[in-house]
Amino acid sequence: MKAIPLVLTLLSAVSAYAADREFTDVVRIISEEFHTRPTSIPMFGLVNLFTAAVHPAGTRHIDLAVFEHLSDHDRQGRDLPEAIMKAVGRSWRPFVQVRSHRNGREETVFVYMRQEGKEWKLLITAIENEEATVVQLLLNADALARWITSPEHSARHWNGETE
Amino acid sequence: MKFALSVLCAVLPLAAQDVKMPVGLDKLGAKASEVVDVSLDGALLQLAGRFLSEKDPDEANVKRLVGGLKGVYVKSFEFEDRDQYKESDVEELRAQLRGPAWARIVSARSKKDGENSEIYLKTDAGQISGLVIIVAEPKELTVVNIVGFIRPEDIRDLGGHWGIPKVDIAPVKPGKNDKKEDEK
Repeated sequence: MKAIPLVLTLLSAVSAYAADREFTDVVRIISEEFHTRPTSIPMFGLVNLFTAAVHPAGTRHIDLAVFEHLSDHDRQGRDLPEAIMKAVGRSWRPFVQVRSHRNGREETVFVYMRQEGKEWKLLITAIENEEATVVQLLLNADALARWITSPEHSARHWNGETE
Repeated sequence: MKFALSVLCAVLPLAAQDVKMPVGLDKLGAKASEVVDVSLDGALLQLAGRFLSEKDPDEANVKRLVGGLKGVYVKSFEFEDRDQYKESDVEELRAQLRGPAWARIVSARSKKDGENSEIYLKTDAGQISGLVIIVAEPKELTVVNIVGFIRPEDIRDLGGHWGIPKVDIAPVKPGKNDKKEDEK
């Protein structure tokens, strides 16, 4: 019974951090470009309940959209990086951008950031040949500092690239 | 009013960076196998500085340097093959650094590796206000723009942080930091 107020508090904390317009815009742009929708992630709400309570690695909230099995055949053909940059706009600071194409493998990672009081938001978009991920993180200053220390490495690490 | 604000917002980042990345250089992205852009403004640098240790001598050095910096902007291109960019691609950038406020203080050329490193220092009213590093290798080109107070000899301490490459330059002795040419 005592757990109910705790759960309600956590739920209200989670709902207080809705995804920003820019996150939904980037997700929409990728959806339209590939004529697809993000993969449904079962029980992702629980992840944010946990995140709101425990703040793993200084993260207080996560919004995540994952696109799988993307195919060039389904593409509209617009300049995706350009469209994403326009969608994100000037209220977010560009932090790191990595664009690489090696051995026919295309990878693009955009990391933008925005300060919200004492906390920081990171908006990360990683696009590969057949996959795309859009993540918005709400971080405390310690967690952001870890990103800043080695921005290039953080962006690559996020994209799953190993050194 | 909205238009004026938009114009102001468009101009401010350029003013902060001072040196503008030439369009010709940006076009190299199409040939490059990898392009990395890192932008850190003053607020982010100060935040990063808070988490550097005073106990570790290297980190303490960087922490001290960060206090005088207003921005660090790094752009690097990596190519699969040699000679994918031309001297003229970098020339547009160098032209901006020929103004009266700028002085090339180091030009190191390695015949063995084909690496060419240049360091330009900006002074305003006798005060150092910025520094640009151009590292040109056969398969890699990196441009670093550091805005704020930084002495050339401090570059080695910043190398490896925030996307800044490690530049191996001979320390510049006080009073002899004008137009130093160094051939390896």
